[in-house]
Amino acid sequence: MPGMNSGINVSNPIVVAAFKAALVHQGLIALLIFALLGLAWVTVRISFPAAAATRAQATAPALAEPAWRQVLRIGFGVLWVFDGILQAQPKMAVGLPSQVIEPIAASSPRWVQQVVNWAGTNWSYHPMQAGAASVWIQVGIGIWLLAAARGPLSRLAGLASVGWGLVVWVFGESFGGIFAPGLTWLFGAPGAVLIYAVAGALIALPERAWRSPWLGRLTTAGIGLFLVGMAVLQAWPGRGFWPGTALGQPGTLAGMTGTMAQTPQPGFLSAWVNAFTTFDEAHGFAVNLVVVAALAVAGAAFLSGRPRLIGPVLAGFAVLCVADWVLIEDLGFLGGLGTDPNSMVPMVLLATAGYLAVARAPAAAAEPAAAQSATPVGWRERLRVADAPRAVASAGIRSVASAGAIGVIILGAAPMAVAQASPVADTILAQSINGSSNQVNFPAPAFSLTDQDGRAVSLVSLRGNVVLLTFLDDTCSVDCPLIAQEFRQAGQLLGADAARVDLVAINYNPLDIQVSYLQAFDRQEGLAGVPNWLYLTGTLAQLEQVWSRYSIPPPEIVPAGSMIAHGDYAFVIDQAGHMRQELGFDTGPGTQATKSSFAAELTDAARQLLGHS
Amino acid sequence: MRAGPAAALALAAVALAAGCGSPGPAASGPAAEAPPGGAPFLATSLVTGAGTWAVVVMGGSVAAHNNFWQLFARPAGSSTWQLATPPGTADNGGLVLADAGGSLITGFRPSQYLTYTPLTLTSDGGRAWSSTGPLDAALANVPDALAAAPGSGTLLALLTDGTAELAAPGYTSWTTLATQRSLAATAAGRRCGLQDLTAAAFAPAGTPLLGGTCGHPGTAGIFADTGGTWHAAGPGLPAALAAQPIQVLRLTSTAGRTVALLEAGTGSGASLFAAWSPDGGSHWTLSPPLPLRGAGLTSASFGPGGSAAVITAANRGQIITGAGASWLPLPPLPPGTATLAPGPGGTADALAVHGGTLAVWQHVPGGTTWAKVQVVNVPIPYGSSG
Repeated sequence: MPGMNSGINVSNPIVVAAFKAALVHQGLIALLIFALLGLAWVTVRISFPAAAATRAQATAPALAEPAWRQVLRIGFGVLWVFDGILQAQPKMAVGLPSQVIEPIAASSPRWVQQVVNWAGTNWSYHPMQAGAASVWIQVGIGIWLLAAARGPLSRLAGLASVGWGLVVWVFGESFGGIFAPGLTWLFGAPGAVLIYAVAGALIALPERAWRSPWLGRLTTAGIGLFLVGMAVLQAWPGRGFWPGTALGQPGTLAGMTGTMAQTPQPGFLSAWVNAFTTFDEAHGFAVNLVVVAALAVAGAAFLSGRPRLIGPVLAGFAVLCVADWVLIEDLGFLGGLGTDPNSMVPMVLLATAGYLAVARAPAAAAEPAAAQSATPVGWRERLRVADAPRAVASAGIRSVASAGAIGVIILGAAPMAVAQASPVADTILAQSINGSSNQVNFPAPAFSLTDQDGRAVSLVSLRGNVVLLTFLDDTCSVDCPLIAQEFRQAGQLLGADAARVDLVAINYNPLDIQVSYLQAFDRQEGLAGVPNWLYLTGTLAQLEQVWSRYSIPPPEIVPAGSMIAHGDYAFVIDQAGHMRQELGFDTGPGTQATKSSFAAELTDAARQLLGHS
Repeated sequence: MRAGPAAALALAAVALAAGCGSPGPAASGPAAEAPPGGAPFLATSLVTGAGTWAVVVMGGSVAAHNNFWQLFARPAGSSTWQLATPPGTADNGGLVLADAGGSLITGFRPSQYLTYTPLTLTSDGGRAWSSTGPLDAALANVPDALAAAPGSGTLLALLTDGTAELAAPGYTSWTTLATQRSLAATAAGRRCGLQDLTAAAFAPAGTPLLGGTCGHPGTAGIFADTGGTWHAAGPGLPAALAAQPIQVLRLTSTAGRTVALLEAGTGSGASLFAAWSPDGGSHWTLSPPLPLRGAGLTSASFGPGGSAAVITAANRGQIITGAGASWLPLPPLPPGTATLAPGPGGTADALAVHGGTLAVWQHVPGGTTWAKVQVVNVPIPYGSSG
């Protein structure tokens, strides 16, 4: 998938350190948000004791939160916080597109890959912002769900869970893999985060829906239908789940678990997964039979909607889910880049909530008098500016915590949104390959050479413009074309400023020094018509002198079919002809993201000298 | 979710989908990109005044960019091969040779991000090379993609897009001689039903020649450009081949004659013919057929006196000493034989490659075995190209 993978090593120390630093900084800001909100709340309460007292009188719940909503809200709140913490793993910033999103999307249809690739590319262009945003958005949603037990804030938390859950389900899980072959409940179909979204949707329902017994019945029916469907899918012939082995190779399930056991994890866990793999290879038919039967029975029980039937089945179903979570899903979050504990924990939470929904179903007419007598306060009244202090004073600690959680979400989302507005990748990618540039200030070595059109060009003749300088081998088949592309993109990014910047390359090939080679290279790289592009050459003696003056090693002629061996360099020369930056310019993996990052680095350097920040 | 389950799912998906796969359509285009007999069809040898030259790919890596084409030279009068690969240009895309009389020109086929064709020239048997050109386009992936006119040194290049271009020495200014489409539109091209171009050559008199595949059976697609007009210059074929599709596999001129290798028929019924013309295509002598029995060619080489030697995909070698002779089977080829270098009187060298080692085996007419006579270790620059 083009663009998705930045190609940077996921453990690159520069990126990891930058990601940790970003999280620490934003974590401190998050704490500050909570502290300031708390302080403001306490201050306002002291200033408006009457309003605070009104709140105290009103703290008795008009209508208790139904137990099954509580299970969903707290359960999924904890899961979101846990997922957010997993997103803070050091390798996540660079690794998520290449090691999580891309492998999952690989088996999906092309259109799914294209959708996913868009998000993966955006992530790979801005790994710091994207990584941090995922942390804070998920932690924020989790705290919000935990804090807001009732009312519009709680419902909004549910909606946030739906929204972000769907984003993760589509882009992170490739629609939960539902369009890929091999779909199975055992491995998390239809995607763990879709269950988060379902739970969020239930939480977002209005109070009157929760007072209706139909909601519980609909929920259990939905769970039942889903489980029956999964049973049918699991039993479907030809999908490879019945045999433990096929043609001497592990069957589908054993193959999956065998692969899972290879991922980094505690030894005992790997031993358990391996043991299950061996067991499944020997008794594949029996294992699948048990799974199909269990799913079918559980589905039928939930479809019945009878608590007496669902209760005992739920216990067995929970045991099956735990067994699957440990032996097949392998807990889901170990191995370095796990983003969530996979589907079984949310599945059990949803099933338990479904059971409670019908076991403790409210009577339709049993609306408490307190709820009926309470005078509803509209949102317009709540938001009236003059009444704001009193509204804050009368707010509960849960509301304040919810506001803090919203602040944490914004803390993560805002930098990501700003980054998205930029068409280029962050310079952190380039810096992760070559480190930061050397800031210097001395007269740049002079040169006097011939450009691609045969005209004489010297450094002096370029005075007044910023010069972005590099050395390119005109028959190089690997790095130089990438560097040329980076320079070309930098020229495009400079926009109107490009007129005050010269993009200059000096030939770094001691054999092909003819202008005709420069012209062929320019056409190859689409640089032939770029007005501020100069590709310079000269006699071998002239070129050797320039290489020496710029203290770059002379290119080495390697025998036996190799291209010229040379380094990759770039220099930034100011309008007065002074060298201002020396950049290592190893192109690294040469992906869209890294090329864009190098272009951004050049653009930033030129703009600094032009007086723009 | 995590990488582990994702990878497992992907693996499972691949396993499940494996049975549904089907091979993609065969590549086709104006110029033959896929060599007729297999991937290393560029492996070949030719004889010039300076000696014998051979091109083979070496490295043995599964990564294509880590396999480099090497040029070996056996100077005239010598029996020893030496490495003569022109330095300083990545040649993992393939090397193509052209005999320019007193010099040899090599074209470096594009590889990786390089999309044009650097050229280099030697006039001292490969000891020193000088840059020339370049050809600002991608040379076709066939051993006869480059040809030099005797005397003038004018270079004829066949490109991957089916264009034939000409340049005078210096080779910086190229003009289009013909395209597959323009040639197919001529009277000769229409009679042939020209489908693609596979070879470029000059007749001994300096007439540009192009060879290709005819859609109309029984027609050999060799064309000569005389005074700006293309006319058919291929050999007349026996009536037995009237229903057979004919493909020009090789076309070159050496020692005052033009030599072509033609494949007639397809699949297990295909046969190979050599054809010689002393006058640029007006008259031809056709060899007896060599049944290929379904095994395409992996290498074809030309030697002195119009001799030719081929290796089939079944790793069998055949040699023919010139016009009027018959194909003679060679003893079982040494393992790793990449190309043959036919010598005078039916002798041949087999150049066998194992990673970075070239072993030279010799065969004398009537012999039943090969004798290893030389080993050349080549410092393959693994990792130098990405």
